[in-house]
Amino acid sequence: MATPHSATPTPTHPAGPAAPATAPAAVKILIAGGFGVGKTTLVGSVSEVTPLRTEEYLTRASIGVDDLSGVDQKDTTTVALDFGRITVSPELVVYLFGTPGQERFWFMWNDLVNGAFGGIVIADTRRLDTSFASIDFFESRGIPFVVAINCFHNTNTRTPDEIRTALDLDPQVPMLLGDVRERAFGRDLLLALVDHLMDLAAVAPVG
Amino acid sequence: MGPHWSELEDADAEDATGVMVRPYTITRGRTAPERDDLTLITVLTTVEEEAGAALARGSRAGARGLQPEHRLILERCRRPAAVAEVSAGLDLPVSVTKILLGDLVAQGLLRARAPLSVARAAGGVDLGLLTAVREGLRRL
Repeated sequence: MATPHSATPTPTHPAGPAAPATAPAAVKILIAGGFGVGKTTLVGSVSEVTPLRTEEYLTRASIGVDDLSGVDQKDTTTVALDFGRITVSPELVVYLFGTPGQERFWFMWNDLVNGAFGGIVIADTRRLDTSFASIDFFESRGIPFVVAINCFHNTNTRTPDEIRTALDLDPQVPMLLGDVRERAFGRDLLLALVDHLMDLAAVAPVG
Repeated sequence: MGPHWSELEDADAEDATGVMVRPYTITRGRTAPERDDLTLITVLTTVEEEAGAALARGSRAGARGLQPEHRLILERCRRPAAVAEVSAGLDLPVSVTKILLGDLVAQGLLRARAPLSVARAAGGVDLGLLTAVREGLRRL
């Protein structure tokens, strides 16, 4: 694999030794989409471990001007993130993070997006609108993404073109239909994302 | 552990605040890490020699510095683990975990490896890295 040194200085030990051979490098992929659309299911279908859950404090300061009705008396509460991992090699691990679906938690996305490879947006054909915001978010931040149309109930009666139009997707954005519970579909989505990143690199001006 | 974001309703939020006191007691009142370079996927590895010595010192009476959570982290990170994994394993919020990790990195007991970025510092995209990821994913 390519040398990571140029892209990853080790600021924690500016003058210290290089990271030991036993520490793998990590990359991050985000799984987004509307509430209840299957994000954690997808993480679980490809992760080598049962999805883990970690928490972060939701402070009034980080929420900014958002109105958290019902927690007026509180300065903090917690929000949880589900994630999984895929060990690509002894030197490389991919972490998959489900993103909070509710708008009031989106401030967390800034941290999540930082350094992310790219994203997968899951959409449910019965309520495509719940995934509009995820698509907008990735587009506005310039984060490459692919779209997964979750068809696990065989409820999809729309053609891919109709869905693409309804989502107002850029023609270049890959869109796959399948069942996020199936590992093979999860793998195909991840591969489609990597291929998309490579395609984008191929057309980008050489740095 | 508190409610998942997908389940977090106002009633649950009431409960979640009940666990607030203890985590920041663990950090001796600190609410922000001294270093801001620990991300969710920064990978941490215990520095065996130094950590072994520190753990041995701590087992004697009068030792100071390492708290139980620090010890758990040093044990956990004998196998490299990301910040998010340590946080999940300790059942502590990410921000609290980062403070404890920062303590150990500052003492030279933990080594931190920053995440890889697909964008190279020199510009362009790291195709070698993408190829490596792709090869690994194909085996899924």
